Amino acid sequence: MNKLKKKISEAKRKWEKIEDNKEPIIYVGAASCGRAAGALELIDETDRFIQENNVSARLIQVGCIGPCYLEPLVDIKMPGQPRVSYSNVNIGLLSKILKSHLIEGTPFSKAAIGNFSNDTFMDIPPFFELPMLKPQMRIVLRNCGLIDPEDIDHYLAKDGYQGLMNALQTSPEDVIGVVRQSGIRGRGGAGFPTFKKWTVCRNTPGEQKYLICNADEGDPGAFMNRSLIESDAHAVLEGMMIAGYAIGASKGIIYIRAEYPLAIERLKKAINQMKEYGLLGKNILGSRFSFDVSIKEGAGAFVCGEETALIASIEGKRGAPRSRPPFPAISGLFGCPTIINNVETLGTLPNILRNGADWYSRIGKEGNRGTKTFSLVGKIRRTGLIEVQLGTTLREIIFDIGGGVQKPFKAIQTGGPSGGCLSEEFLDLAVDYESLASAGSIMGSGGLIIMDEDTCVVDVAKYFLDFTQKESCGKCIPCRVGTRHMVEILDRITHGEGVPEDLLTLRTLGDTIKKGALCGLGQTAPNPVLTTLRYFRNEYLEHIRDGRCRAIVCKDLIEYRVIKEKCTGCQSCVRVCPTGAISGPRSEPHNLDVTKCIKCRSCYEICRFEAIAGDAIIIRTAEKRS
Amino acid sequence: MTKKIIHITINNKKLDAHPGQTILQAAREHGIYIPSLCAMEHLASYGACRLCVVEVDGLRGFPTSCTTPVEEGMVIRTDTMEVRGLRQEVLKLLLSEHPASCLFCGEKEECKQYMGTIRKVGVITGCRYCPNDLRCELQQIAENIGLTETSYPVYYKNFPVEKYDPFYDRDYNLCILCGRCVRVCSNVRLNGTLSFKQRGRLTTIGPAFDRSHIEAGCEFCGACVTACPTGALSTKVSKWYGRPDTQIGSTCNYCAMGCKLLLQTTKTEVIDALPDYSSPVEHGIICVKGRFGITEYVHSPLRYGVPREMTPIGYNDISWEEAIEKAASKLTGLKPDECLFVVSPQLLNEDLFAAQKFIRQIKGSEEIASSFIFDLDDDAISYINLISDSEPIETIEKAQGVIAIGFDSTYGYSAIGVNVKKAVQSGACLLCINSFESNLDMLSEASFVMDTSKWADMLDLIIGFMSKDKIEKRLAGSVKTFGKDIDSACKVFLRSPDNVLIVGPGVIEAQNRDRVLGGIERLKNEFSWRIVVACPYTNLKGMLAMGAYPCFKPGDTIRQHEADKTVELRGENAHIDLKKKRKLIYLIGDTSFDILPDCDYLIYQNALPVKSSRAPDLILPVSLFTESSGTIINIEGRVLQVKEAVAPYMDSKPDWWILKRIAEKIGRPGMKFNNVGSIQGEIKKIIKGFPAVKRRVEFKRIALKGTVKKHGQGMPAAWKSSYRGVLLGDVVSGIKVIESKRMFSVQERATRAPLIEWRAI
Amino acid sequence: MPEAIEGIFEKYQRRSDQLIPILQDVQKEFGYIAPESVRHISRYLRISENQIFGVSSFYAQFRFTTPGRHSIKVCLGTACHVKGGATLLEMLERELGIRCGETTPDKRFDLERVACLGCCALSPVVQIDADIYSRMTVNKLSELLKQYE
Repeated sequence: MNKLKKKISEAKRKWEKIEDNKEPIIYVGAASCGRAAGALELIDETDRFIQENNVSARLIQVGCIGPCYLEPLVDIKMPGQPRVSYSNVNIGLLSKILKSHLIEGTPFSKAAIGNFSNDTFMDIPPFFELPMLKPQMRIVLRNCGLIDPEDIDHYLAKDGYQGLMNALQTSPEDVIGVVRQSGIRGRGGAGFPTFKKWTVCRNTPGEQKYLICNADEGDPGAFMNRSLIESDAHAVLEGMMIAGYAIGASKGIIYIRAEYPLAIERLKKAINQMKEYGLLGKNILGSRFSFDVSIKEGAGAFVCGEETALIASIEGKRGAPRSRPPFPAISGLFGCPTIINNVETLGTLPNILRNGADWYSRIGKEGNRGTKTFSLVGKIRRTGLIEVQLGTTLREIIFDIGGGVQKPFKAIQTGGPSGGCLSEEFLDLAVDYESLASAGSIMGSGGLIIMDEDTCVVDVAKYFLDFTQKESCGKCIPCRVGTRHMVEILDRITHGEGVPEDLLTLRTLGDTIKKGALCGLGQTAPNPVLTTLRYFRNEYLEHIRDGRCRAIVCKDLIEYRVIKEKCTGCQSCVRVCPTGAISGPRSEPHNLDVTKCIKCRSCYEICRFEAIAGDAIIIRTAEKRS
Repeated sequence: MTKKIIHITINNKKLDAHPGQTILQAAREHGIYIPSLCAMEHLASYGACRLCVVEVDGLRGFPTSCTTPVEEGMVIRTDTMEVRGLRQEVLKLLLSEHPASCLFCGEKEECKQYMGTIRKVGVITGCRYCPNDLRCELQQIAENIGLTETSYPVYYKNFPVEKYDPFYDRDYNLCILCGRCVRVCSNVRLNGTLSFKQRGRLTTIGPAFDRSHIEAGCEFCGACVTACPTGALSTKVSKWYGRPDTQIGSTCNYCAMGCKLLLQTTKTEVIDALPDYSSPVEHGIICVKGRFGITEYVHSPLRYGVPREMTPIGYNDISWEEAIEKAASKLTGLKPDECLFVVSPQLLNEDLFAAQKFIRQIKGSEEIASSFIFDLDDDAISYINLISDSEPIETIEKAQGVIAIGFDSTYGYSAIGVNVKKAVQSGACLLCINSFESNLDMLSEASFVMDTSKWADMLDLIIGFMSKDKIEKRLAGSVKTFGKDIDSACKVFLRSPDNVLIVGPGVIEAQNRDRVLGGIERLKNEFSWRIVVACPYTNLKGMLAMGAYPCFKPGDTIRQHEADKTVELRGENAHIDLKKKRKLIYLIGDTSFDILPDCDYLIYQNALPVKSSRAPDLILPVSLFTESSGTIINIEGRVLQVKEAVAPYMDSKPDWWILKRIAEKIGRPGMKFNNVGSIQGEIKKIIKGFPAVKRRVEFKRIALKGTVKKHGQGMPAAWKSSYRGVLLGDVVSGIKVIESKRMFSVQERATRAPLIEWRAI
Repeated sequence: MPEAIEGIFEKYQRRSDQLIPILQDVQKEFGYIAPESVRHISRYLRISENQIFGVSSFYAQFRFTTPGRHSIKVCLGTACHVKGGATLLEMLERELGIRCGETTPDKRFDLERVACLGCCALSPVVQIDADIYSRMTVNKLSELLKQYE
């Protein structure tokens, strides 16, 4: 323990040097979202700039700080000045910023979005007072974007592993007691009180127990777990150790999907650093607790996010879930008592053990304590990764944090393929497990997708069912066969071939699958359909009765047209049309033959983005053909 | 000690259950109906079909009764409206993946009566077209649940029917993915030919890469066919017979394992043979020969129905009177060395008892030949001594060291093979020595595919490693280089308290066989290895016990009590002279025409002909083991019952009946058997409690004085299975296919260097 | 046994639960899972080839045919879908003449869909080899393909 304490004080001194830096520091947000936006090129360019201009500056790659719509984010901290953050940086903008701020010492205010002090700095507002950040309460994400995720000292400097040290000073039962008192519920989706499973596992006799971190994050559109691991892997690892200590496990396994290579790399580095610092292995920090962590990569199966399927996958079998009982807490991996916790649940634990159960239990609301991270995406102004107290309303999230919608709001989808679409009457719904469930959706892992009038809910329902169908393991009949029928019915409806009975059939099928399926994937698969049927019934009826898709999405119900008055005859669209549906001589308005049109969007896009006219092609509801 | 009782309530009735039972098992025990398709006895529960759902107080939703264990005070409802509704919906969904038009057709009753020509079509679209009609579990469930219509469209998968593997067809358009076949193949048979492939609605079942079953290592044991609840898997031979009329439990006669078979019969034919998982001998693990090789043999169109006599212009059918008259006249007045009698070691005990009595009376000498003696020649006694010590099959599972020599359990000796696999799964170390790749190689520490001439050296090498003084190693000349490969295995063997040596049929045709058998003896005697012999001679132990062997009278070789350990044999007395021309040769279930000496008159007592250059002068048709009652003694020494399942074919008779009638005609007393029971009464004198013998029959060791003179004529073909001398491959079409696959392997491997695999880590 | 496979086996114990990591390494090394590889794994782990195939065919990551020169992955996460990801996939299927999950006959391109590349703010997203392209349109994508031989 003392060796670690020494390392902590060294780390804190190291951190001081950053807070009170003597040479400039440049931060680049280089988690996966940053990289996708072009962060790596910016890093190369910055390196080049520093070399050429013979400046001494330090470059730190940080993780994701939240507002992905502002990426790439490049921050500069000059000695004596607060850190200033620049958004949507491209190569051209970068040189201007570097010249102004790094060389001349003056922030390039035009592109600056915020500064990291508590006050305004040279007309630049405090970063955490920005409308997107202010309502948030960043507990799990507290280090993300602020520290170098590949340096354990940064984590230690910010009171890292303090939670573990506190835990090791008490008994495992006490740790479970703290977790119980804090009221934290599993953040993977089910919302089961974390302490309950732990207690069962603790009380089950067994030489070998396992603690598994579920980092399979299969929900399309969810990247909270990935961001957390890439930006602050140690938070998750410390959480794993606290959990392992509490249940009596000596082996920890992180089951992470293979599609997250950067996260896997960061985890490997973090684990090696832990070993160097004596935080893994036998008798950690002089206690009787021994723990080792290994990484297992998923192989591309959404269903492996389900507990028993995950266990089957680690055992080298097909990822098919099995019935319970027996429950994994009693007989799980290789027949041993096993606890599976979500990345976010584990990432929260160090904070609880560090600040106390009381502190955590005062956040959020009754029965729904604490905060939750969400990935806020879709047709919203400010997309990104957020963390709010449970009990926050959807309205606050969408309009205060998210900056609202540009086109009229239609629906918000929560919980991924297991969740549902809620209409605008639910905007004042509090985001907590029970409220969402009573509305027919679920909290899920935290994906929030905003839809506006350009989104067709029938198409969205079909999209989710299609996903579930493809990911179904195929073991049980209700899911394997039932979802297939549902997809086919939805397919017909989107092609304008629906019949009124279809709505009743969809409900019956949904009911059967919910009651009969073996695992959570099947049992929640009908939710997108059932909620959209409930809240957007009219859209279904329009598709069926009127052959009309009001969002202008379903291909068989829309058609493309040239507005002759606006067309300049520039031939841009003629060049890209794959079927020759659009034609016409130069400088004369073109013709579009609807019978040949396959609605591939090529002409529409080229007219909008590159051609002269800009809006000569429109897409609208097809005229009813008899 | 009474078992603990758990009190539960099902449908408001208080019932008793046992700990470890599932709700489904408890309900079935009390006669309460809960439908299920994927659950099956002897298989771990799976919970996939969702038909067995019930309501349980305190448990959310609708748990499946096949996976939920009973608990004290549980309240269960199996028949509420919601449960019934859910079952109907699930069944409707199931039927959208399985063609079942006949289930809901208004004219289905008429069709059942007047089937017309709608059976045996290429594409099955309904029950009346399906080989499983009236036997199908899916049909039964649809009826029991009371489904009258289905509203969902049917997805016909349009797979081609897989017919190009032997023994059974596969029509995966009928497969409902219940997984029973996969589970029984992987978990019960430990074979792993069938696997679920892909996932979701694209899930199929089969071997890797769409290989044929024969390529994929299928043993054709038929466990999957037995398990399949629909018509997806159907036995070729009995596909269209419909439901059998009766089921008779009997014992397979094809090898010395003595597996139990549940023979399925119509009024006149045996149409199928199913395993009995509660049989203590093999626990239902039977091989392809017993499972699929019976019908085509016993109902072969080539069977002799009436006695036949050779005339200058061909065979004449004659009556039994005439036949017996003829045989008797030819046998009267012969001197002992003018006639030769050959018995088959695959005859029933009762027939062997009658045969040895007949031979000793009529011929008056100890020269009782058998195909066993022809094959083993001067090693016969060594082999007999091995089988005397052969241990119960069940005990292989506990071994920690195993050597399998000349053994392959793909198409035979399944129970031994599965037990070896279980031992390896529990951590046992396995070495394999064979002339071709066996199915156990995959599990072995090291496997040696080598010419049989090297086997003796190999055993010597192993013994060398196991002995303290290591002098032996220099004897293993040709295989010295393999020392490093067996080193770690031998270390395990030295530490292990329980080692088993499996002696396979390959040993019978091995070169340097005497040294091989000698090496096995040494491992047994000096290093305490237990021996299990996979013996192709079905009733060899019976043959010895009944005294159908030179110099051993009935009971001479049986140990009556503990101290009774050995019996002597003077080698020169046990020689069969195959050079001397005879006046008459009488073959009882034997077909060794090619190695027999010349003779003036040849009597052939058997059920089927064989291709040979010699035509018998008198053919006496016998009834086979499916048409007789009797017993055999298997390799473990158990006395097993053979029961008559169908009436004898045409005018065929049991062996003992024919011999008794001839003896009577000749005028010899002492063969006063009127039925099998009276023979068994005589056998009772040498085996206590016969035929209902509880304990194993133990045998004395034979102490050979002098040597048995080699006759040098034997051509053992141990890997070609036969029954009563007739090659199964000649009569059962599928057997020919699988045996030629094995022979192909032999030829291929003959040119390859031995395979050494990874060392232990 | 090829050295490469032996090298992979040295990292793993002979237990059946090591199957999936071994398959992942084999696919990384050879680009796909060949019948030969399955045979070697079968002998090493002591489980039948059919069982190995059954496990590996369950997971989307493993392929059994040689890969194309370039791999195109269309993101079909929810955010990309609502911004027109499906249309991009249709266009690729049309231009390349193959269905999703297949390889072009000339082995130039593999076409796959992925659930979410995690760049939802910049949807729709397409990944070709290691390059991620955001805010894609049908026409831009068509042009882009020409850069990959």
